[in-house]
Amino acid sequence: MLTILTFLPLLGVAAILLLKFFEKETDELIRRIALGTSAIVFVVSLVVLIGFDTSVGGLQMVEHFDWIPSWGISYYLGVDGLSILMVLLTSFISLLAVAASWTAIKTQVKQYYIFMLLMQLGMMGVFLAQDLFLFYVFWEFTLIPMYFLIGIWGGSNRVYASIKFFLYTMAGSLLMLLAILYMGITNNTFAVPDLIAGREAFADVQNILFLGFAIAFAIKVPIFPFHSWLPDAHTEAPTAGSIILAGVLLKMGTYGFIRFNLPLFPGAAAHYAPAIAVLAIIGIIYGAIVSFPQKDVKKLVAYSSVSHLGFVMLGIFSLNEAGIQGALLQGVNHGLSTGALFFLVGVLYEQRHTRMFADYGGVWKAMPVFSVLALIVTLSSMGLPGLNGFVGEFTILLGSMGAESLGPNPWIYTAFATTGVILAAVYLLWMFQRVFMGPLDNPENKKLRDLNGRELAIMLAFLLFIFWIGIAPSGYFKLMDSSVASLVSNIGSSLVVMP
Amino acid sequence: MNAFGLAPLILVFPVIGLLLNGFFGRRFVDADRKTGEKLSGGFASVMALSSFAIAVLMFFSLRSHEFHAEVINLFNWIVVPSAKLQIPWAIQVDTLSVTMMMVVTGVGSLIHIYAIGYMHGDPNFSRFFTYLNLFLFFMLILVTGNNFLMLFVGWEGVGLCSYLLIGFWFDRVDKNGLPMNANAGRKAFVANRVGDLAMILAMILMFWTFGTLEFNTVFQSAVELFEEGHMVHFGLFSATLPAVLTAVTALFLMGAAGKSAQIPLYIWLPDAMAGPTPVSALIHAATMVTSGIYLIVRSNVLFEIVRASGELLFGIVSSADLVAYTGAATALVAGLIAFTQFDIKKVLAYSTVSQLGFMIAAAGMGAYVAAMFHLITHAFFKGLLFLGSGSVIHGMEHGHHHLAHGDDHHDDDFDPQDMRTMGGLRHKMNSTFIVYTIGALALSGIFPLAGFWSKDEILAHGGEHNFAVYLMLTIAAFCTAFYMGRQLQMVFFGKPRHAAAEHAEESSPLMVIPLWILAGLSVVGGFLLNLPFLTESLAEANHNHPTGIFLALEGWLEHSIQAFHLSEEGIVHLPHTPIVFSPMVAGLSTVLAVGALLLAFKLVYRDRPQTADERDPLEKIPFVWKFFAALPFETLFMKGFIPLFNKASHWLGHTLDGTIWHDFVHERVIRDNFVGFASFSADVLDTNGVDGLVNGSAKAVKRLANLIRRSQTGYARNYALSVFLGAVALVVYFVYMAN
Repeated sequence: MLTILTFLPLLGVAAILLLKFFEKETDELIRRIALGTSAIVFVVSLVVLIGFDTSVGGLQMVEHFDWIPSWGISYYLGVDGLSILMVLLTSFISLLAVAASWTAIKTQVKQYYIFMLLMQLGMMGVFLAQDLFLFYVFWEFTLIPMYFLIGIWGGSNRVYASIKFFLYTMAGSLLMLLAILYMGITNNTFAVPDLIAGREAFADVQNILFLGFAIAFAIKVPIFPFHSWLPDAHTEAPTAGSIILAGVLLKMGTYGFIRFNLPLFPGAAAHYAPAIAVLAIIGIIYGAIVSFPQKDVKKLVAYSSVSHLGFVMLGIFSLNEAGIQGALLQGVNHGLSTGALFFLVGVLYEQRHTRMFADYGGVWKAMPVFSVLALIVTLSSMGLPGLNGFVGEFTILLGSMGAESLGPNPWIYTAFATTGVILAAVYLLWMFQRVFMGPLDNPENKKLRDLNGRELAIMLAFLLFIFWIGIAPSGYFKLMDSSVASLVSNIGSSLVVMP
Repeated sequence: MNAFGLAPLILVFPVIGLLLNGFFGRRFVDADRKTGEKLSGGFASVMALSSFAIAVLMFFSLRSHEFHAEVINLFNWIVVPSAKLQIPWAIQVDTLSVTMMMVVTGVGSLIHIYAIGYMHGDPNFSRFFTYLNLFLFFMLILVTGNNFLMLFVGWEGVGLCSYLLIGFWFDRVDKNGLPMNANAGRKAFVANRVGDLAMILAMILMFWTFGTLEFNTVFQSAVELFEEGHMVHFGLFSATLPAVLTAVTALFLMGAAGKSAQIPLYIWLPDAMAGPTPVSALIHAATMVTSGIYLIVRSNVLFEIVRASGELLFGIVSSADLVAYTGAATALVAGLIAFTQFDIKKVLAYSTVSQLGFMIAAAGMGAYVAAMFHLITHAFFKGLLFLGSGSVIHGMEHGHHHLAHGDDHHDDDFDPQDMRTMGGLRHKMNSTFIVYTIGALALSGIFPLAGFWSKDEILAHGGEHNFAVYLMLTIAAFCTAFYMGRQLQMVFFGKPRHAAAEHAEESSPLMVIPLWILAGLSVVGGFLLNLPFLTESLAEANHNHPTGIFLALEGWLEHSIQAFHLSEEGIVHLPHTPIVFSPMVAGLSTVLAVGALLLAFKLVYRDRPQTADERDPLEKIPFVWKFFAALPFETLFMKGFIPLFNKASHWLGHTLDGTIWHDFVHERVIRDNFVGFASFSADVLDTNGVDGLVNGSAKAVKRLANLIRRSQTGYARNYALSVFLGAVALVVYFVYMAN
C-alpha cells in the first residue's frame, strides 16, 4: 500500500510521456492527467488513514525487503503517528498545488507537471522511508524537481535562487550522509528501528552525529541563521513551488528532527535542547521583525515562515508530549495557512504581475470575496483562537513551559517565544492593510476580478481544514498521540540511564 | 422550570444572523435599498433580541434552580491524551455569566436597532451587521465559556471584531493622506495582543499548576492547595502557590489593561473612535472593554488567595493591590485628559477609560459586586451618551449637508465631531438633548441616577480599605462631573458657533427610541439593582424566598463570587461579599459632583467660547492643560516606541539580513571564496600537481571498484533500482534539454 502511495505519481509521469503516441498532446490533457494522478494519490493516502490504527505506537503497514543486504540496506517503508499527518499533508498540498498551477503555467507545461509529480514521489518517500539509506535517496531526490521548478518557471532572478537552494541544502546533507554511513557501518544496518534499539553502539559520538543530522535539517527548516536561501527561493519560485516549499519541504526538516534526532541520539537531544530552543526563539522574533519592513509580499510571507517554524522547533525540543504533538500539528497548520497565503499572492500576481506592496491598496473594494478569505487565512497565520494556528501554538507554548529539557526556569523561554504572538499581529496586519485596506486609487487595481470557481474551490479546501483543526482538533491529536507518547518515553528511559 | 439545555442557542442565533447577512445581505441591500436595509438590519436585530430572550430564560432558570451554576458540555476542543490536556467547548450558566449575557444582549439589541437608522445609506450596510452579529457571538463565548481558554477565544474574537469595525471605513484617509481607520484598527489589535501575551502565559501557568483550565476546578483546587500549603512542581520548576498565583494575577492585570484600556495600554481606545458610533457605544463602552473586569471578577478566588497570602510582586506590592492602583491611576489620568479634548467622542472615550479605571480599582480592592454594578450602570449611561453623540454628529452632518447644497458655503475641513463648531443644539435636537443630559448626570454620579449608586459603592469601599485609591478616585469623580458639564455647555447651550449647528436636525425615531430606553435604564437602573441600605435585608429575603421577583445584585452575584479571608486557622469563608455604604462618602462625592458640574457649567464655560476659533478657558492653566492635552502616553508610544521599532526592523530586515548576511556573508565571503578556490584548483593544482593526483586517484579507483563490487549482488531489485535512478536521470536530462 505504501509503495503504491509513493510511486503512484510515476504512472502519471508515464502517462504524460506516452500521451503523444495515443492522442493529440494538449496542455489541457496533461493538466488533467497530473490532477487526476494527484487526486488518486490523495485518495490512496485517505485509504492509508482509514487503515491506520491510532492505538499503536510503532510502525504500521510496514513493507520491508532486503535491498543490499551486505551493507545492511533495506527497502523499508512504514507509517506511524509521527508521519501520518505529514503523509496526508503531502498528498493534500500537492493536489492543491497542481490545481493552483492551472492557468499560471503557460510554458513547457509537460515538463512542469512531470516535475510536480516527481516532487510528490520524493516527498512521500521521505515521510515513509524507515531505512536511513532509502531516506537519504528520497531526501536528495526532492532537490532535483524543485531545482527545476524554481529554475525554469520562477521569477526574474530564478537561476540564482534555484542554484542557491540546491547548493545550500546539498551542502547540509553531506554531513548527514557521513553520519548515516557511520551509524550504518557500526551497526551493520540502516533500518531506523534497529538503529534506535542499538543506539548504545554510537552513544559515545552521539553529539557529533546529532549535529550532522541537525545541520541538514536546520537548513531545511530553516532555523536561524540558516534561513538565507529561503526568501530567495520563495520569492522566485512559481506559486505552486512556493506552496509546496512552505507546505511540505520545510516540514521535512522538522520531521527529520523528530524521526531521527530525538530517538537516535536522545542524550544529545537533551544536551542541545536549550541551545536549539534559543535559536528557535531568535527565529520566532527575528523572522517576525524582519518580515515587517519587506516591500515584497512573498518575501514577507517567506520570513514569516522563519518565525512560524521557530515555534515548531521550540515544541520539538520541549521533548514532551504536548510540545512534540503541538509541533507536528503546527507543521500542518503552517502548511495550510502559509500555503494558502502563497496561493492568494499567486492569484493577485497572475492578474497584476507584481508582488510589491506599493502597487496594491484598497483591494478589498475590488475583490470582496477574495479579501474576506485572505483575512481568514491571515488570522489563521496570526494564531487567532478558533482557527488552526492557535491550537498548534498554544500546545507548543504549553509544552515548552513544562519542559524538563529547558532547565528549572522554562518560563523564560515560553515568555520570549510568546512575544511572537504580538509581532505576528504587527507584521500580518500591516501586510493585510497594505494590500486590502486604504483607498483603491491605482486604476490597474480597479480592474481586478474576484475569485473564479477553481480558485474558490482551492481556497475552500484550505479553509475547511483551517476551521476544522481550529474548532475540533482532537482527532488530529489522536492520530499521533500513541506514537509521540512512546517516543517521549523512549527518550526519557534513555535519559535516566545516561549519566 | 429550567431550560439550561437551551443555553447553546444564545450562541447559535448570532451565528445564523452573521451567516445570512454575510452571504445574502449584500444582494438584498443592492437589489432594493429601502427594504433590503430593513431586512438586513432587522434580521440581525431579531437575532440579537432572540439571544437576549435566551439570556432572560437563563435568568429565570437559575432562579428556579436555587442559583446553582450549571455547565452544558457541547463537545471536545483540544484533547491531547498523553499530555493530559483536555479543553472542552462548554457553557457555564451562573449568576455572573447570566448578568453579563443580559447586559451584552440587552444593550446589544438596542444598539443594533439604533444602527439601522445610523448606518442608513452606507454602501456596506449588510457587512456592518454581519460584524455586529459576529461580535455578539464572540462576546457571548467570552462570558459563557466554562474555562479560561474559551474565555480567551471570545477575548481575541471580540478584539478581531473591534479591529474590523474600527476599520469599517478602511478607505478613509485623514488630512495627511494616511488611512486613519485602518491604522486605528491595527493599533487596537496590536495593543490588545500585548495583553493577550499575558493571558496565554497565565493560562499555561495555570494549566501546569492545576492540570486544567476549567473555572470551577481551578478555583476549587487553588483553595485546597493553598489551605494545604502545597508547593507547585512541574518540569524542573518549583515555587509556592502564592508565588505562582501572584504571577498569574499580575498577568491577568496586564491582559485586562489591554482589553479594558488601562495604563499603559489604553492608548488604542481613543483612536478607536474612528469607527462608526454604534460600534463605539457597543464595543468600546458597554461590552467588550469590560471583559477585563469580567476576567478579574471571574477569577476573584485567585486574587483573594494572593491577597490573603501576603505574597508581594517583586517584593513591592501585592498583585491584587496593584490592580486597584492601576485602576485608580487610570481613572485619574484619563479623567484629566478628558477635559482637554474637543472631539465629542474623544471626551467620551477618555471618560470610558476613566470609568473602566473605577471598575478595575473596585475589583482590585475586592469589591467585585461594586465593580459589576458599575459595569452594568456604565453600560446603560455610556451606551446612551455614545448613541446620543452619534445623534448629535448625525444632526451636524445633516446641517452641513444642508449648507453644502443650499449655497456656496462649503468647507471641506468641517469636522462634525468638533465641539467648538457646535453650541445651542438643545433647540434643534430636543430629544437628544434631554436624554444626553440624563446620561451626563448619571455618569457624573448625581442622585438618584444610576451612576450615583454604583460609583458610590466603589468610593465607599475605597474609603474603608484603601485611602490612596479613595483619594484618586474622588478626584477622578470630580473630573468626571467637570468634563461632562463642559461638554453639555459646549454642545447644547450658548449660541451656535458654526452654520452647520444652526441647521442641525433631530435624528430619525429608529435612533431616538433606543436612546429613550437607555435613558430610562440610566435613571432607574442603579436604584433597582442595588439599593445599598436595603441590600442586607433584600439579600436575606432572597435567601428565604429564592423565587422573589427582585434580586438585589449583591444577593444575586454572591452565588458566583466567593468571599473569604485568611485567619490563623486558615481560610475562612464569609457568607457573602461584605457591603459598605457610608453616608459621609456619598454626601461628599455628591457635593463634589454637583460642584464640579456647576463650576464647569456656570462659571468656566458659560457662554464661552463664543466663536469656533476661541481658545478653551482652561488653556490658561499652564501645567494641567499642556501636560494632559499633550497626551503623555500616546506621545510616548507614537513618537518614541513606533519610530524605534520601525528603525530597528528596517535595520534588521534590510541591513543585517540583507546587506550583511545575504549579500556580504553568503555572496562575498562564501560564494566568491568558493569560486576562487575552485578556479585555483583547476588552474594551479591541476596543472602542477597532476602527477601526484593521478597516482593517488588510481588507488582510489581501485578501492571504489572493490566497494562497488559488493553492490553487484545479483539481486534483481538492485538492478531495478539502478534502472529506476537511471530512468529518472534520463527524464530529467530530456526535459532539461527540451528547452
